[in-house]
Amino acid sequence: MCCVHDTIAFEQRGIPGAVIITQAFTKAAEFQFRAKGMPTHPYVVLPHPISNLSTPDMQTLTAQYVAQVVRHLTA
Amino acid sequence: MPQDIDPFEFFLDKPWSDGLPVVTPTEARVEWMLEAVRLAPEAVVGLIPPLLEPATVRTIAIHAVMAGCKPSYLPVVLGGLRLMLREEFNLNGVQGTMHGVAPLMIVSGPYAQQIGLHGGNGCFGPGFRANATIGRAIRLLLLNLGGGIPGVASATIFATPMRYTACLTENLADSPWESLAVSQGYAATDNVITCAMVESPRLCFDDVSQEPTRLLTGLASSMTDLCSWNMHTRSDMVVALGPQHATLCAQAGLSRAEVQRRLCQMAGRTVGDLKRGGNWRRERALAFPIPVDPDDDTCFIPAIKHPDDLQLIVAGGWGPCTAICHGWSGGSHAVHGTYEV
Amino acid sequence: MAETLGFIDPTAGGDVARIPLARRPMDLAGATVGLLDNTKEQGDVILHTLGSVLQERYGVARVVLQRKEHYSKPAAPALIEAMAQEVTVAIAAVGG
Repeated sequence: MCCVHDTIAFEQRGIPGAVIITQAFTKAAEFQFRAKGMPTHPYVVLPHPISNLSTPDMQTLTAQYVAQVVRHLTA
Repeated sequence: MPQDIDPFEFFLDKPWSDGLPVVTPTEARVEWMLEAVRLAPEAVVGLIPPLLEPATVRTIAIHAVMAGCKPSYLPVVLGGLRLMLREEFNLNGVQGTMHGVAPLMIVSGPYAQQIGLHGGNGCFGPGFRANATIGRAIRLLLLNLGGGIPGVASATIFATPMRYTACLTENLADSPWESLAVSQGYAATDNVITCAMVESPRLCFDDVSQEPTRLLTGLASSMTDLCSWNMHTRSDMVVALGPQHATLCAQAGLSRAEVQRRLCQMAGRTVGDLKRGGNWRRERALAFPIPVDPDDDTCFIPAIKHPDDLQLIVAGGWGPCTAICHGWSGGSHAVHGTYEV
Repeated sequence: MAETLGFIDPTAGGDVARIPLARRPMDLAGATVGLLDNTKEQGDVILHTLGSVLQERYGVARVVLQRKEHYSKPAAPALIEAMAQEVTVAIAAVGG
């Protein structure tokens, strides 16, 4: 999917990239990272679906993943 | 050929197989296929997303052979793929979407007739080599070079039978009007393809209506399902009026353009109705390219947000039925253009 | 392939060269974080939340938010290029 594509584009320019996806698209993300030569690139997986969450609930859920995002962006 | 390799099993085992046997692509068959076009085999036609593998004239010819195409079909396969790679068609998104839509090719003009593309009885079903194999060649390319494999790069929940093949022409012999291509501004002698990203057709029977208003009311209602993405985003729709329904409208004095206009006007639901079920979200309505008031339960939301989004054709056999194909939510816009033969 | 098989195998890909991940910083103190919103629902909420928390708790100095044209399309190379000039790290949301 295009988020993965964009993340790869950042990595190729020397910019560490973190990507947030939802559960239903983990295989697609793995496939794309592998196909483009980055099989070990990590990604953050949110439970699916999220489209029906209220904004406060979405914010609360996101906050639970910040530490993971930081781990993906730092050494 | 080595004794222990069965070419049928070899290709059926490929992750990108569509589950049906392919015509074994040999050098002889591919050369035979390439004779249909005067193009350099190594010329790159485009990169097929999401894998972005290059599709050359030769690799397209290989997939056309596998699909069972005659060489005379290759120009249509090439023309269709070129259109589908246009940015506004958003092939990248549809390869991964959860939805089950496919790029439907509506082929117009004299060449379609010449190669036997079918638009009459059974045109959405099996039985017609050009319809079956041109669409299949496209699908094999999307699977192999694009990598749009279900459960891998594609999160499609159900897919659609249209992902075996989705290619037809209009039934101009029984149509009271000009073709879709002519309505788009092309000459009747132009060879044109229109591609729209749509679901399988739903069949709308009406053997009661004797005048257009009642007929179009019923058809319009089939364009407005609560669970259809057409109600919740801007999206294309294909309406294939059966020739009997088209003739009913024409005999009442309606032009093709007038039927198009009326369907766009009539097909829709109120906000209050949409809230009862399906994909209604206030934020989705606010993102429409037309002004609506999502807090007014009486506000009318049209299924077709822009007249260009309704691809109206006349197809199928004689009988009281029209086929309607709903669209996708992924920001694809139908594309059309001429192709070289 | 044809010589061995007797027919053509048009399977895509082949050996893909590994692309190394970009070097990561030790932490995000003083970093400029690029937030690439693909316009899919909730993407903006996710990125705003991440941006806020990263600034409050991880010492991130600045966030740069960009919205794409549509969620299903890769970002224009020019957009990626421009962001790459300006940011230390990037976050893309939301895939699906």
